Amino acid sequence: MISVNERTARFLNPVARVRREIVTPEGVPLQVELADYGERLGAFLLDFVFLILTNILLYLALIFVGGWAVDRRVMFTIALFLGFLIRNLYFVYFELSWRGVTPGKRIVGLRVIDRRGGPLLQNAVIARNIMRELEAFLPLGALLSIGGTGSVLWERLALALWLLLFALLPFFNRDRMRGGDLLAGTMVIAMPKRRLLADLVEVTASAEFTERQLRAYGVFELQILEELLRRPDSRETMRLRQEVCERVCRKIEWPDPVPPRETLDFLRRFYTAERGFLEREQLYGRRHEDKNSTVGR
Amino acid sequence: MSEPIPAKPLALKSSEFRRGREQGWSALELLLDRAERRGVKSLRPAELEQLPLLYRSALSSLSVARAIALDRHLLLYLEDLALRAFLVVYGPRRDLLGSCRDFLRRGFPLAVQGARWHVLVTLFVLLAGCVAGFMLTIGDEAWFNTFVPAALAGGRGPASTRAELLDDEIFRAWPGVIDSFLIVANFLFQHNTMVGILSFSLGIAAGVPTLLLIGYQGLVLGSFLALHANRGLALDFIGWVSIHGITELGAIVLCGAGGLLIAEKALFPGRYSRVESLARVGGEAARIAIGAVLLFFLAAILEGGFRQLVASTPLRLLIGISVAACWITYLAVPRRGDTQ
Repeated sequence: MISVNERTARFLNPVARVRREIVTPEGVPLQVELADYGERLGAFLLDFVFLILTNILLYLALIFVGGWAVDRRVMFTIALFLGFLIRNLYFVYFELSWRGVTPGKRIVGLRVIDRRGGPLLQNAVIARNIMRELEAFLPLGALLSIGGTGSVLWERLALALWLLLFALLPFFNRDRMRGGDLLAGTMVIAMPKRRLLADLVEVTASAEFTERQLRAYGVFELQILEELLRRPDSRETMRLRQEVCERVCRKIEWPDPVPPRETLDFLRRFYTAERGFLEREQLYGRRHEDKNSTVGR
Repeated sequence: MSEPIPAKPLALKSSEFRRGREQGWSALELLLDRAERRGVKSLRPAELEQLPLLYRSALSSLSVARAIALDRHLLLYLEDLALRAFLVVYGPRRDLLGSCRDFLRRGFPLAVQGARWHVLVTLFVLLAGCVAGFMLTIGDEAWFNTFVPAALAGGRGPASTRAELLDDEIFRAWPGVIDSFLIVANFLFQHNTMVGILSFSLGIAAGVPTLLLIGYQGLVLGSFLALHANRGLALDFIGWVSIHGITELGAIVLCGAGGLLIAEKALFPGRYSRVESLARVGGEAARIAIGAVLLFFLAAILEGGFRQLVASTPLRLLIGISVAACWITYLAVPRRGDTQ
């Protein structure tokens, strides 16, 4: 049994993200939206590019600083060593100091959180990034070396395949966790970014509709109507409103026809009255889920 | 219900509620915007004090709204606001220096002590590999080439003579800062750390690859030992290796123990779900791995610096033993208190 809110969401946006619930330490359940596979891949690729850019910059700086003064092999070694450090510290550093966000994740709008709703601990950040070596960098290396010479091709293919199994872990669990997330108890979500819009109602509802008329609809229809009222004005929206207005008038047996210019105004007044009625009913423990609800009849 | 009953004009609770609380929400939103863009540090002390209060009141607003409001947009907005505030309020702790100290003082030793059985099992596998490598190679030195990859052998092998091993390896003159630095940073540290990281992270594959990897390290070591023993250099070799090897093998064992810890919780989750059980142990295992990487770092320094500088076997053995004593005291002595 899904809730009305869920039903409304699915009705309005059939391809919405997958949602999960976490419970804050205060005991309030919060809905989070899981990041899509594409977003996560995108964020990783961005970070990978940044990583490579950082390395190139570093090499250039090294060449610039000590290119002629020091043994070339030493420079090369320092560069390799620093590259190794950067690769292993980049994600840990950013996820710690930017609170679960790396530059790539930030651009894509993702964030790492604790799966159970607790604080994101340092150990978790470190654990999920140690695994990255196994999940991302080794398979990348293995894939890149398939074309090379030196060892038997099928051995390399088998290795690459085996390593890819780790890389593809997010496809095999419902929370889309990679190995690191599994180990650290974290998951990656899409950052929320909704702004508060103006309220659609005045504080008091007018008494022009009868209770019987208001009983015609439930929460589901109310929320769909709200969405329609909030939609930006366009020819399409106007047409829809017109249509909805006619249907409402028919359903509640509204005596006078509503002129097209007053459609929006009428719908607003009806929305206000309906919401006031349904909220009061809910307060009394009678929740009208939708127009077919039989509560309190 | 024949006569239509006119509804009384009524005040919308949800709208009144929104008017009363709106200011607090937008104040919180402003703080969040800044904290998300420029970090929590950009908030003034007074604002920092306000943040948790505003967060709690947003949470309570959300709970109230869920009970009384049918305004879908308002609910979604509050849901988002509460989540954003939650993420800022419960972000990771940022005091890196303090937590490093805490990690070294208690976190690392405690994590190792918690995994003492895993450490012992890994140590046993390493020793078993070592014995097997030794037994095989001492009879037939061709095994050496099977076990030890060319990059690790570095020219040593069945063809090496006693004099070569003595002069080029065990008592080779210290090559100077540059060359020893090259060896250490370029190859040994990266190689060892990779072995460590792998044996740790392969724990997630039920620990079998971890044990194989550890056992293989043992094979390599045993094979080297046999090669030297055949030339009457066993003790010298042990002395030569012990300077850094104690630290390095210790680190490998710790990584393996971390991997086994993960494997155990994945295979036998007990009363938790498998995923839950993994998440519970992951942080602990990560602590062990991080400590092990630090050990690798120290081992690399010992290896590059001191190994060739100290040119007498008894002295090398002494250093090896005291290093071992240090690590055992550091890691095995019980400590008070628990970390976060």
